[in-house]
Amino acid sequence: MTLINRPPVAPTAPILAEGMAKVPPRRGFLRENPSLPWFLGLLTIFTLMVSVLSEGLGVGALSTSMVKIIGMTLCLCLIAIAMDVVWGYCGILSLGHFAFFGLGGYAIGMWQMYARTEIVIRDSMAGGVLPPTPAEVSDAVAAQIFGVVGSLDLPLIWSFAHSLPAQLALVVLVPGLLALVFGWLAFRSRVTGVYLSILTQAMTLALALYLFQNDSGLRGNNGLAGLQNIPGLLDVPQAVLSVWFLWASALALGLGYGLFAWVVSGKFGSVIRAIRDNEARVRFLGYNVEGYKLFVFTLTAIVSGIAGALYYPQAGIINPAELAPIASIYLAVWVAIGGRGRLYGAVIGAASVSLLSSWLTGGGAPNIEIGAFRLMWADWWLVLLGVGFVAVTLFFPKGIGGLFDKLVRKQP
Amino acid sequence: MSIFARLLPLLLALVLAAPLVAQTPLQDVLQANRVEVANPSRASVGQVLAALREADAPGTSEFLRQWQDRMVVEDPATGLFHVSLEVEGRQLALIDLDSGAEIGRVSSRDVIPIRPNAGVRREIGAALVRFELSAPDPSRRLAALEAIARSPDADQIPLLESAIPDESDADIRARKLRLLDLLNARFATDTGQRIAAIKGLSGDVSTEARRVLNQILATEPGLAPTLPTDRNIARVLIAGQHLSPHEAYDRLVAAGLAPARPERNTLRDALLAHVADGAVAGLPLHRLSDPAARIEAYGVLQAQGLVPPLVGEADIAATLAGYVFFDTYLEPDPALTDAARAALDQTATRLTLFQWMAISLDALSLASIFFLAAIGLAITFGVMRVINMAHGEFIMMGAYTGYVVQTVIPDYTVSLIVALPLAFVVAFGAGVAMERLVIRHLYTRPLETLLATFGMSIALQQLAKNIFGTQAKPLTAPDWLAGAISLNDVVSISTIRVAIFVLALIFLAALLIMLKRTRLGLEVRAVTQNPGMAASMGINPDRINMLTFGLGSGIAGVAGVAIGLYAQVTSEMGANYIVQSFMTVVVGGVGNVWGTLAGAGLIGFLQKGIEWFNPSNTLAAQTFMVLFIILFIQFRPRGIIALKGRAAGE
Repeated sequence: MTLINRPPVAPTAPILAEGMAKVPPRRGFLRENPSLPWFLGLLTIFTLMVSVLSEGLGVGALSTSMVKIIGMTLCLCLIAIAMDVVWGYCGILSLGHFAFFGLGGYAIGMWQMYARTEIVIRDSMAGGVLPPTPAEVSDAVAAQIFGVVGSLDLPLIWSFAHSLPAQLALVVLVPGLLALVFGWLAFRSRVTGVYLSILTQAMTLALALYLFQNDSGLRGNNGLAGLQNIPGLLDVPQAVLSVWFLWASALALGLGYGLFAWVVSGKFGSVIRAIRDNEARVRFLGYNVEGYKLFVFTLTAIVSGIAGALYYPQAGIINPAELAPIASIYLAVWVAIGGRGRLYGAVIGAASVSLLSSWLTGGGAPNIEIGAFRLMWADWWLVLLGVGFVAVTLFFPKGIGGLFDKLVRKQP
Repeated sequence: MSIFARLLPLLLALVLAAPLVAQTPLQDVLQANRVEVANPSRASVGQVLAALREADAPGTSEFLRQWQDRMVVEDPATGLFHVSLEVEGRQLALIDLDSGAEIGRVSSRDVIPIRPNAGVRREIGAALVRFELSAPDPSRRLAALEAIARSPDADQIPLLESAIPDESDADIRARKLRLLDLLNARFATDTGQRIAAIKGLSGDVSTEARRVLNQILATEPGLAPTLPTDRNIARVLIAGQHLSPHEAYDRLVAAGLAPARPERNTLRDALLAHVADGAVAGLPLHRLSDPAARIEAYGVLQAQGLVPPLVGEADIAATLAGYVFFDTYLEPDPALTDAARAALDQTATRLTLFQWMAISLDALSLASIFFLAAIGLAITFGVMRVINMAHGEFIMMGAYTGYVVQTVIPDYTVSLIVALPLAFVVAFGAGVAMERLVIRHLYTRPLETLLATFGMSIALQQLAKNIFGTQAKPLTAPDWLAGAISLNDVVSISTIRVAIFVLALIFLAALLIMLKRTRLGLEVRAVTQNPGMAASMGINPDRINMLTFGLGSGIAGVAGVAIGLYAQVTSEMGANYIVQSFMTVVVGGVGNVWGTLAGAGLIGFLQKGIEWFNPSNTLAAQTFMVLFIILFIQFRPRGIIALKGRAAGE
């Protein structure tokens, strides 16, 4: 009895150190991530190609809106690899990462909206006899921005909206802190699996409902608009601006890919994959499972926020509907279709599904006539996506990325 | 009164003997009193009214109204009375009093209009009310009472009083007494009578009683250097405590006792008015973007006597110190207002009680909706650990089944009786098909069932949109479910919600019996607790899983019909419930019917409770509720009723 009831002894540091000493020497970073140079190379070539074909800087084969869609897709790829790390590598099916994406967008959107309105207000006030006081300007800006929700005062959360560095910091801090607090609460009470998914979904829902209120301080369901205009760069035509944002998005995606490739390789990567496969066993080995999960959750939330901050200036508008729980589920769909547990899979999934979706629902694809029946892509695309998604889950659990395995293994 | 005193015995006889007396046509009665009808005076009109009441001819009250409104004319040729309606030009359409048919058109010069004077018209009006108040038909008496309640007035008191003694119907009599109290409380000339009436209203939660009491307690704001003694003071307001110093000061400004406070633009406008040579008071304009410089410039202008001094916070405080602020009752008699206040206080206690009851009923009905939406999910989740994101689409499927049945069967009651089982069958079939085709292959990968069922969910939603269109479809409740059950003016609940509550109870009972008393239930519980062991005892877990999934989906289908009856049927209706349903299941605890019940109850009551604090904002209520649930899961990660033992370890 005494033997059975003895409390388990936590493995001590020397044991761990001894165990680690026996681990064979690590392979190089690049050898562990053969996809990284390929990906970075392809991304660079692709970006250069789009730049050359663009209307703003190149020959004009691609319209400005097309360049914007490509830039936005790159941002979606970035959040998809973040989702892949948290879900495919760490096993946390978060249905809340699009909320972090939206928060990043709101943080940058607040500055854009404030600064641009301030320029407009200053211009209109410049004609007056008396030069305006700072208080008068900020009152007028507040009335301009919040008149639509029946308020004249600047809410407290807009205290830093006049400052670009402060709002850029908020792009990182708001999603990061929210993820840190939420993750800490969730992981410490050992909420796992589907419960955690539902909890993250509840968080997203609460946030969306909060933002839908007119007195939330973020203009309720009007959201923030006119984000395609960048204060300070108002003279730059949208065609050029779209290419700049494409470069910024591509750079962020490349850096994000590199960062996550580094995170998921090496010992850290082994531990988080082990947590995915058997959390209890990793805990019994003495690892601080909650700490690892919290780190991954928070880091991916921050990257999601940055992706959002790059996405919404290209989209031009953000409103609370963007944060609805369904968006986060679609994110999971992209990653699953692309292939979990491999970063390039997430990129493939996000890019192919989101581009296909906007092509088919935007009326770009020709309708198919089958006898008397007419297949309208806009109507049937979601049915197709749903059924296709079920098929991928059932028959190709590795997603599109799984095809690469077959290619690579055939040529050893 | 005097007329009535004379007529009372007669009226009594009439009420008792009404069925026996043969009715005389209206025209005959009028012809019998020709002179008095044609030239009515206050002295003579009583005779006509008495005769009319005695005869009780059909259409009498209509005639009285028209007589009062000067619409009756006399045809000089025949001596008959008609109602005249003005048609185009100067033509009048004559309408026969008894038949109501148009008998011809004449010029307005060919008939003699009958124009009763103001005194006569009042007599007629009183007779009309009295006539209606003691009409033999109870519904007419009630209608007359409602007319009085809608536009109460002092003259109605004697009329109502006189109509009470011979009222035979107990309910109408109570209604008359209540209305008399309401009238007396407001209009009686004698204070004692009014106080008695007010006391009679205490504890009455009806809106009309509260409105009368509140009218007596109506106040107006007042202010004076010292508290006046000759006014009925409701309460003294202390600036900074009951009202903000600025509000108090604004009252002084409104009364013309103090200069106005500077507004947002006062300073700027004053400066703008004194711009000279690119400067204000010697300060160049470009410096005036600084608030301090603006105040300095204003100071200079003030010193020159060009602008009034700015009212600062210190000035406001000093001015306020010289005044007392108070609210006075419009009613000068303190005895009356005290009585009304006491009566209202007594009502307030009962009112709070009834409001609690109303909120609880609301919460209960919301909880039963959540329960219906979530119980199917709880079964599938509990038994199979499968997150069914398409659960909402089974709800939708049930609702659309109800809609289709209604288009085929026009009778709403019959179609509802057909739709409920049919919705179960349809959703059961869809559920079994989905289990066989998709979910069966994913039992070892629970997170992926979440994704696969989500795929089904978007496909089914879009499919419904393609088939039924994006427009919301109606699912109409039969008439016997359309009304509301109301206890009084505060507590009332629509019948459909009661029906949903009853449906939820039936489901609860049926499920409990199924799970605890049948072989299938035993097997389901066995598989829930330990599938491996259950299989080794000869239970086929595959079959049980299929049946359970079908059962859960079927229940969702029936819930869809119920939800569709009070909300509209759209392709997104299921998606609106899915997150709430998940939270209900998770909060309640998985794999237990009682847990789901507790979860639905908790969420329903919580949402209504938060809404009660902030009724204008249901979004805020939902936000706080979700936050609460997130925190709740921190403390009870396995829900209110958690499975114990080995089954809980998964």
